[in-house]
Amino acid sequence: MRVRRIVVGLDSRLRTDAALEALAALADEMEADLIGLFVEDVDLLHFAALPFAREVGFPSATRRDLDVARMERSFEAQANELRRACEAVLKSSSVSWSFRVARGSRAEQLLSVATEAAAPTLLVPPGTDPRAEPAIVSQSELTEKSLRELLDNAQRPILILP
Amino acid sequence: MATTGRIGPLPATQLCRRCQPEQFGFETTDQLEDLDGVLGQVRAVGAIEFGVGIRREGYNLFAMGPAGIGRHTIVRRHLEKQAHGLGTASDWCYVFNFDVPHKPRTLQFPAGQAGAFAQKMERLVEDLRAAIAAAFETDEYRTRREEIEREFDERQEKAIAKIGERAKARGLALLRTPTGFGFAPVRKDKVISPDEWSKLPEQEQKQLEAIISSLQEELEHAIREMPKWRREALGRVRELHRQVTRAAVNSLIEELKAEYRALPQVQDYLASVQADVFDHAELFRHGKDGEAPTLFGIPLPQPESAEPPFRRYAVNVLIEHSGTQDAPIVYEDNPSHDALVGRIEYIAQMGALVTDFTLIKPGALHRANGGYLVLDALRVLTLPFAWEALKRALRSGEIRTQSLGHELSLISTVSLEPEPIPLDVKVVLVGERYHYYLLHAYDPEFAELFKVAVDFEEHMPRHPQSDLAYARTVAAVARREKLRPLDRAGVARVIERLSRDAGDAEKISVSMRALADLLRESDYWAGNAGRAIISGEDVRRAIETQIARADRVKHKLQEHIMRGKLLIDTSGERSGQVNGLAVVELGGFWFGTPHRITARTRLGSGGVVDIDRESELGGPVHSKGVLILSGFLAGRYAVNKPLTVSASLVFEQSYGGVEGDSASSAELYALLSALADTPIRQSFAVTGSVNQHGDIQAIGGVNDKIKGFFDVCRARGLTGGQGVLIPASNVDNLMLSDEVVQAVVEGKFAIYPVRNVDEGIEILTGEPAAAIHARVEQRLSDYAERARVFAVAAPRKPWRARKPPK
Repeated sequence: MRVRRIVVGLDSRLRTDAALEALAALADEMEADLIGLFVEDVDLLHFAALPFAREVGFPSATRRDLDVARMERSFEAQANELRRACEAVLKSSSVSWSFRVARGSRAEQLLSVATEAAAPTLLVPPGTDPRAEPAIVSQSELTEKSLRELLDNAQRPILILP
Repeated sequence: MATTGRIGPLPATQLCRRCQPEQFGFETTDQLEDLDGVLGQVRAVGAIEFGVGIRREGYNLFAMGPAGIGRHTIVRRHLEKQAHGLGTASDWCYVFNFDVPHKPRTLQFPAGQAGAFAQKMERLVEDLRAAIAAAFETDEYRTRREEIEREFDERQEKAIAKIGERAKARGLALLRTPTGFGFAPVRKDKVISPDEWSKLPEQEQKQLEAIISSLQEELEHAIREMPKWRREALGRVRELHRQVTRAAVNSLIEELKAEYRALPQVQDYLASVQADVFDHAELFRHGKDGEAPTLFGIPLPQPESAEPPFRRYAVNVLIEHSGTQDAPIVYEDNPSHDALVGRIEYIAQMGALVTDFTLIKPGALHRANGGYLVLDALRVLTLPFAWEALKRALRSGEIRTQSLGHELSLISTVSLEPEPIPLDVKVVLVGERYHYYLLHAYDPEFAELFKVAVDFEEHMPRHPQSDLAYARTVAAVARREKLRPLDRAGVARVIERLSRDAGDAEKISVSMRALADLLRESDYWAGNAGRAIISGEDVRRAIETQIARADRVKHKLQEHIMRGKLLIDTSGERSGQVNGLAVVELGGFWFGTPHRITARTRLGSGGVVDIDRESELGGPVHSKGVLILSGFLAGRYAVNKPLTVSASLVFEQSYGGVEGDSASSAELYALLSALADTPIRQSFAVTGSVNQHGDIQAIGGVNDKIKGFFDVCRARGLTGGQGVLIPASNVDNLMLSDEVVQAVVEGKFAIYPVRNVDEGIEILTGEPAAAIHARVEQRLSDYAERARVFAVAAPRKPWRARKPPK
């Protein structure tokens, strides 16, 4: 059995060249398609819509008011930056790759992209080592709730089998 | 020969002191050994030996004398002799100053060791790179570093998670936004929507908002703590680097320190290197790859971001004296400010000029430190700020390298202040005498810094022993210049020529340049004639061609005289007119030429007027000579009566300046002739200055002056009655050319040595001096009487009339 797809949840932790290069190398070895997914977290949009929404900047430690428009601009900026980083690293490689942006809950969107094809898929959540031993789950058993639990607790890739 | 005076002409033997070839015992100069010591420079050599021998502050030398007498060669020869026993000077390096980077420090090494140290430092850096890189590859390092990084991450995560837990307990979620964190109420694991929020009772909303605000404060506080934790982690990583690299670094550097145990300064520097390597161990891990070291993905701070990482450990070998056992002797041909004290170079980098200690370049003072520095005085004085820089270095006893722009505050780019290098050098300035005297007069520091005057002679006394010594010098120069040897006649000709150059039968020129030129040219003519030995004939030809190449102007003047454009009589008689003689120097060629001097007199009270001075063509010395004539006239003829004469004197057809008093006797003869109305024989020319008592005094250039008049007479045909009156005190200066001497031998020309005006006027007029004086006195008495008559006959001025008594 061969892993055909690698779905990577992208956030700022994956912005470094080294992390992206490691993913490219893995995809190359597995001869798998690499799909980068940036999720515009709907929870954050709800949060921004609240009348008292404020964030504490990291690492500036300053408080700022938030609203939906501002949150959307932040998502867009972050997505653009990740897209550029992916292009810089991956365009010179032979790996077939794509970059997607989706809005919703993180677990829901990762699940949706990871299970859209009936093929063995390696799901690499943000901040996990892609070469770590994966948790193996069957596509039919995987729900949004079980995926959320895996994302919260496992801190390792998830191999989804059709 | 028609002479009537008491003074007879000089015999031919007194007209030229020949050098007899027979006096020499050699056949050719090949048989002569080089002369030990220096010819005719006893005073200068003594001063050099004293100056280079005394190692005291301020005893630098000023070698003075005209160019071409071998000042540089003689000085250099003595310095080499002295330098041989002095031992080699130290090597000097500039290295990075780890405490004050803009003040590079110096390292002093025994001769020949600086280069080796620089190589060892290069190798040390290579070894350190390998050793440190290996240390960083060990499991110990990797694991311990990971521990530190994880600990930091965990501490950070834990602090945030703790706040997240507290939030959760109160029904809130800690959310990670793209740029920070936020708190929001959650229902069923989802952030509450704005609609749900609006439906909450106001009391609950306020409560939640207060909780969120409190949590935000907590989070702020936690985040503010994080940089401190990062600093702690960085410190621990650095300490880890020290621990990991200590063994490798210590073993390598201690080994090098042991090699330089005898040089505490070097040991101290190596200790600084050791400490710096510990602080910058990361550089050795990544240095050449160009990859900046990072911690948690953040580039680590580096000391000098613009400079290559290992440049700080380089050694700039400023001066190295390898392969020699002698103290250095440096001649700096272009002693500019930078060429003396060194310079700091700059590199253009991103549009800015930058520099570092490796760009400090040595100057002549660095190269000569511990030995001798020879400089041309005029060049040092004329190149901007060079003299001041040299004096400052000698005064302070150290070489301070600073760019001129910074010294004068003209530019203010970031620059270096290299540590000064102690200076122990003997400076020899080579210049003209007037440079020495001017510096002595106008620069108060000069006497303090250049206490030893080395005064070179232009001439040396000539006697039979000196002729032989000179022959040995001729032999040495011929050998050094790889010329044919000279036979005895050739040497004799050379000696005669250089004695003539000295303008004195009892002296000989010690101009080595003139000697070498004459020998080279004689060698050329000997080669042309196919001779293996330079003969007297070759030397004669060399002299003739030297003159022929330079005497165009002389021939032009003679041509004008022959064609009657310049009025010079060489026969006949005329009152108030005499042939004076002048010497002209053009491009180093001296020649004499006759000038007509005329005098006119009349009744008056104007004294003697020098027309050349009035027309601003006469120099001060010439004017002085003319004024002396008034003194002579008054003292001799008008002691008890007024001198009521107005006389004018002029150098006829002189369109350039007239200077010197050597024509003052000729002017006096013209004046006496005019007053006595007694003609002067134009077949004579006169030279010599006169004093108020009528004594004839010595002048310069007597040989050229005689030759100048002789050439004109010969061109017109020698009559036997022609000759030149010279001061008797100049007889021992006579070194007349062969043709003049031959003409005298044949009775066709004569030279008269004159001691006073009386002797001269008798020769020139053919009458006794007393008769001439009587006529002059009579004429002046007549003038005085007429003046008195004029004064009595003149109407009384109204204002001088006596007032009538009341």
